[in-house]
Amino acid sequence: MHEIKIAEDLSLIILEEAARAELSVVTKVNITFGQMVAIVPHIFEFAFRETVRGSIAEDAEIEIEVVPLKMKCKDCGTAFLVSESLFACTACGATDLELLEGKELFIKSIEGE
Amino acid sequence: MEIKIMKNILDRNQNKAEEVRNLLISKKVLMVNIISSPGAGKTTLLEHTCEVLNPVLRIGVIEGDITTDRDALRLKKYNIPIVVINTEGGCHLDSHSISKVLNSFDLDNLDILFVENVGNLICPSQFDLGEAFKIAVVSTTEGDDKPAKYPMLFREAKAILLNKTDLIPYTNFSMTSFRSDLKKINAGVPLFEISCTKGDGMKEWYEWIKGQILFHDGISGNDLLNSSKRESS
Repeated sequence: MHEIKIAEDLSLIILEEAARAELSVVTKVNITFGQMVAIVPHIFEFAFRETVRGSIAEDAEIEIEVVPLKMKCKDCGTAFLVSESLFACTACGATDLELLEGKELFIKSIEGE
Repeated sequence: MEIKIMKNILDRNQNKAEEVRNLLISKKVLMVNIISSPGAGKTTLLEHTCEVLNPVLRIGVIEGDITTDRDALRLKKYNIPIVVINTEGGCHLDSHSISKVLNSFDLDNLDILFVENVGNLICPSQFDLGEAFKIAVVSTTEGDDKPAKYPMLFREAKAILLNKTDLIPYTNFSMTSFRSDLKKINAGVPLFEISCTKGDGMKEWYEWIKGQILFHDGISGNDLLNSSKRESS
């Protein structure tokens, strides 16, 4: 259900930026979610539709890029994509890891006219 | 036309969280965000922690609940400042709701502020409240697979409390699987295997949390023993 709050904050940013750029309609929103943020896309889309209803972004298409989990082993330095929910270095098996990518939650751009 | 933004969607929450964090650092108050499923034992943990630590530490509590003040009523007997935030359906607390209630506390006379978040393993772990750190409470009756299923929380938490260890004989909980999964999510995170109701393992938790306050305040152990802060209250 955190999708609702995230959609609310996203719609505020969209409307603010659209007003600044003097757009009359927002046609597309490009966002990036890290895999670890655990956003369920269809719930997010549903929440987003509710928050932009009646606004200039009402019919905006949402493009979600999901960034896979990427970690770096603190022992051997190998960087690798995590394919399962448990994290261990693919080269040496060590579990002391630094998270490189996968916690993103940002808006890249909006499109409109 | 395309307008580049490149902004964290939760910027509003994050900015307010930083404001809360800076205020608490300046007041030397350690805020701990406690996250668990409903029924894992957050309030029972706080009851016992208040019972033992209230005489030596000045404790405050923010109770986050969807509705009711039942948790707060359970802590009333310790005579500590408590504020309830009812989220009215919301599944987590956010930094704005914390910021609004902070002025209900006398922060100059507080060492630690526990925030009991809404019972939920997913949503609360996404929202920075301005806390010094998060801790996760999980109970054996929920199963040993929780770290693997909710990696974000178990990765972010500074300590894990595994509660209801006294009930293990009545469940299929495997301590070996739990420990091994946790190691692969957050290697080296302190794990306290406790039973709040029986008291098992609680001493280690009390010592650890006291140590965190010393570290946060940047004062030495001797200063705490001399109770410089406490005597002034």
